Amino acid sequence: MEVLSQVEIAFWPALADSKKADLEAMPKGYIDAALINGAIRTQENLEMVRLLREKSKLIVAYGACAHLGGIPSLANLYGREELLKAAFGDGWRPGPPPGAPQEDAPPELLPKALPLAQAVPVDYTVPGCPPPAGLIGEFFSAFLSGEMPPPGHVFAKVKALCEECPRTREERVLKKIVRPHEIVPDPEACLLDQGIICLGPVTRGGCSAACPSAGMPCTGCLGPTPKAGDMGLSMVSALASLVRAGEEGEAAIPSENEILDQLVDPIGTLYKYGVPDMPCAKEGEG
Amino acid sequence: MADFEPKVVAFLCRWCAYAGADLAGTSRLQYPPNVVPIRVPCSGRVEPSWVVDALQKGADGVLIGGCHPGDCHYVSGNYKARRRVYLLKKILPELGIAPERVRLEWVSATEGKRFAQVVADFVEELRALGPMKVMSEG
Amino acid sequence: MYPEGITHHPSPITRSRIGVFVCHCGHNIAGTVDVERVAEELSRYPGVVYSTHYEYMCSDPGQELVKRAIKEHRLTGVVVAACSPSMHEATFRTAAEEAGLNPFLVEIANVREHCSWVHPRSPETTAKAIRIARAVVEKVKGNHPLEPVRVGHAEKCLVIGGGIAGIQAALDVAEAGYEVLLVERSPTIGGHMAQLSETFPTLDCSQCILTPKMVEVARHERIRLLTYSEVEEVSGFVGNYHVRIRKKPTYVDPDKCNLCGECEKVCPVRVPNEFDRGLSQRAAIYIPFPQAVPSSYTLDEEACLGLEPLRCSECARVCEVGAIDYDMQEEIIEEDVGAIILATGYELYPVENMAEYGAGRVPDVIDSLTFERLLSASGPTGGEVRRPSDGKVPKEVVFIQCSGSRDPELHKPYCSKICCMYTAKHALLYRHLVPDGKAYVFYIDIRAGGKDYEEFVARAMEEERVLYLRGKVAKVFREGDKVMVWGVDTLTGKRVEIAADLVVLAQAIVPSPGVRTLAQVLHTSCLDEHGFLKEAHPKLRPLETLTGGVFIAGAAQGPKDIPEAVAQASGAAAKAVALLSSPAIVHSPEVAQVDEELCSGCGVCAPQCPYSAITVEEVAEVNEVLCEGCGTCVAACPSGAMSLRNLADEQVEAMVQAVLEEVAGG
Repeated sequence: MEVLSQVEIAFWPALADSKKADLEAMPKGYIDAALINGAIRTQENLEMVRLLREKSKLIVAYGACAHLGGIPSLANLYGREELLKAAFGDGWRPGPPPGAPQEDAPPELLPKALPLAQAVPVDYTVPGCPPPAGLIGEFFSAFLSGEMPPPGHVFAKVKALCEECPRTREERVLKKIVRPHEIVPDPEACLLDQGIICLGPVTRGGCSAACPSAGMPCTGCLGPTPKAGDMGLSMVSALASLVRAGEEGEAAIPSENEILDQLVDPIGTLYKYGVPDMPCAKEGEG
Repeated sequence: MADFEPKVVAFLCRWCAYAGADLAGTSRLQYPPNVVPIRVPCSGRVEPSWVVDALQKGADGVLIGGCHPGDCHYVSGNYKARRRVYLLKKILPELGIAPERVRLEWVSATEGKRFAQVVADFVEELRALGPMKVMSEG
Repeated sequence: MYPEGITHHPSPITRSRIGVFVCHCGHNIAGTVDVERVAEELSRYPGVVYSTHYEYMCSDPGQELVKRAIKEHRLTGVVVAACSPSMHEATFRTAAEEAGLNPFLVEIANVREHCSWVHPRSPETTAKAIRIARAVVEKVKGNHPLEPVRVGHAEKCLVIGGGIAGIQAALDVAEAGYEVLLVERSPTIGGHMAQLSETFPTLDCSQCILTPKMVEVARHERIRLLTYSEVEEVSGFVGNYHVRIRKKPTYVDPDKCNLCGECEKVCPVRVPNEFDRGLSQRAAIYIPFPQAVPSSYTLDEEACLGLEPLRCSECARVCEVGAIDYDMQEEIIEEDVGAIILATGYELYPVENMAEYGAGRVPDVIDSLTFERLLSASGPTGGEVRRPSDGKVPKEVVFIQCSGSRDPELHKPYCSKICCMYTAKHALLYRHLVPDGKAYVFYIDIRAGGKDYEEFVARAMEEERVLYLRGKVAKVFREGDKVMVWGVDTLTGKRVEIAADLVVLAQAIVPSPGVRTLAQVLHTSCLDEHGFLKEAHPKLRPLETLTGGVFIAGAAQGPKDIPEAVAQASGAAAKAVALLSSPAIVHSPEVAQVDEELCSGCGVCAPQCPYSAITVEEVAEVNEVLCEGCGTCVAACPSGAMSLRNLADEQVEAMVQAVLEEVAGG
């Protein structure tokens, strides 16, 4: 698909020498569509996307970080101070380099890494980490033809990935939980059936089940299906439901717990591309 | 914290725990009014997301009441509930929530006394735990 | 005459027009809850257009109040804040229906059992009542009007197994006016009961009480008897099963056979006779026992010298009526049935497993059914007790109870329940037949719970002087023509050695082997860990399986004696008749449903369902008649494609919100 010949690049800091001032100079709504990737992590990010919102007719959240917060948002499980302390050690404070003016200080970290939609109104989303070529194509053909779906549309399927997964499922029970490197999975059979945590059942389709087809579990980069709600909690429910250690009953409880305990790093596994927005501080640890 | 009154949402299965709460009523057993029950067909209907949703919306604790093992009206819904709560409690601390805020209890339709006791104990425990801490500007 | 309700315009954000009716229940609610305040608060709640309170809402005037408000205020939902829904949910739903409101739009807020009765009079108690009522308003706002699920059903019953349980069930269903298909694997009905000599505790002759029932089955106009047949395939669901039965050829036309027995005499083949537990022999063409039903000979294809090509044909030659037809083909019978009763019975745990008792090696160590044949007047010895090895009348007989039962290490952990009683009967009958014989019984303890059972055991002990030894047998072995039994009497602590002539093992009861295949045919996990049929609920639904419309009768569910099997069979028949006689199967519509637009067919839901109500092809599909509405699959569904009617996630979230919202001054 030929895109470049049909559009004019108004602003692309990664490729062209574009400065904030150039953007400020543009009239309101000058840009037809701004594709923004990355989570909103700093005060500067926030200012930039607000500016882009003002100058653009459409804002497109592009990629898992803009869509869901992405891996940077895993840091939201910790407070800002905690993060800085973990990264730079005790007593460190963001500031300008020695002798430099205050305006050269690194941009201030926001309390949380935000998905784009929590910073500015977002019109469309092209999800994925990275967005699959097919979905990018879908967006551009809609955009260039002028036949855009209703605002809010996510350019991915509403059905979960399993629908397009070539693997076959047999007995839907989880008798063990393993990490992908621990076994050589059967090439035909469903990974979840083999004990590998695959987020296919909760994740939007649209990538032709690229990861499971290649022998790796889906990690959820296209985000949850429209009615899945909280991705991790939905999977908690599904996985716990599937666990079986023989016939269900009181006698099986210790063995069931053993299987559930095999889930290593549940947050990193179930919330790789965005943790739920918890209004609460960490508690129960002191 | 002396006048802190924990708010508790209770999801009670209609066959056992809800009926146990009914029996506590007909027996005129007294327990703290902090718990508001929501009737569900089975503890197996309760979704982990409801629990977290309630805590996010301001509940200080969530109680799930189901049938004793082997007594589930729907055979095995309570076993599923148990596994879900077990896994949920494993991730709650990482989400910043004390797992003690979530309780799964088996209460049969004949255990009015036990229901009252469970509620009283849970409310006391939550009182000691304090209100859900709201993430301060950090 | 009615108190004035507080009316409001419908909230602009919702089109719900909910009416809230707060009951005082005399002082029961109003004594601790400020009911006026509850009604007043609720009148301001979004979606509520009418709110009132009344002394006894369940009274006729109270119900009238609800009905009138439904009409006058064009209510789209009703919340009655009153006692537990287990009390009056049906009352108010019926009232609402009379006023033209779908009953599923009526819900009860339980402010009595869950509030006024368990808390003191205080603002907090009133605030809790308000929270409860608000939450239920939110639920009703999300409820949909529903109609009960109705499906038709076939008016025929399939009974699988022709033992006493199957016979009783078939007769009861047929007597109630429904067609019955009775399928039995062997060439005759009667089951193990036909093999028994006499029955405890009354010592009725087993055949004498059984054969009239067998004949009744044969004669009954509404029972179609299919012996020598097996159920091969079952598809469909409650009320609408399609079954496929394979009937093996008997090569004898039962309408022509006159039981002259000439064929049997000329048949050159002799094989062990199953009916006599191998104590006698039968020809390849045989009738299991003279009273067999259908009363006809059967040519055992396996034992016959050969049918294709025909190797002998002696039997056909002597058959005067020409009943023998070597070209008889197997038959496939397909029928639609509404209900299925499983009465597949039991077998004895094979004695070969009891190496410690010499079973399988020592010919005079036999199991209890074999002993029944030795006792039976129609048995291979004509009712004289003669031991298998040399035909001598045994003068010392040792009976070993719990052989293979209550032995979790080596054999079956469970109690086989009937052995205490039949062993007492065996010892007693033996003493009747061999008055100078000695009978010893080794037992763990005696379980004689049943009408006149204890007295029967006492009779064996006291009147017949059967020596009961409490203890286990350590070893049984052959010494000369004796069977040595070494054991311990745990009451005296002494070793016991008996040089017996015959040892009878009260073998554990195990499910009939065919039941496992049958479970597969029924596509249900209806077997317990020991292979017996599993009831839907051990206490409340003992006659049903988890598969709707499939019922259980007799020892297939677990060891049981004749009266118990018969009682259960009649119970299962009543269950089947209740289903067959209903004009339609009516089922609650509050069941799981799949959003096909969202379902990816991941299949997480299906194994969660205890009723096998979900099938997954491209997408999941819920059989509304089988679904009991527990919602376990809904909670398991990762994508949110599955929901529970009138208890969707959105409703619960709104209820939670309503519970947690502040109550002014509360």
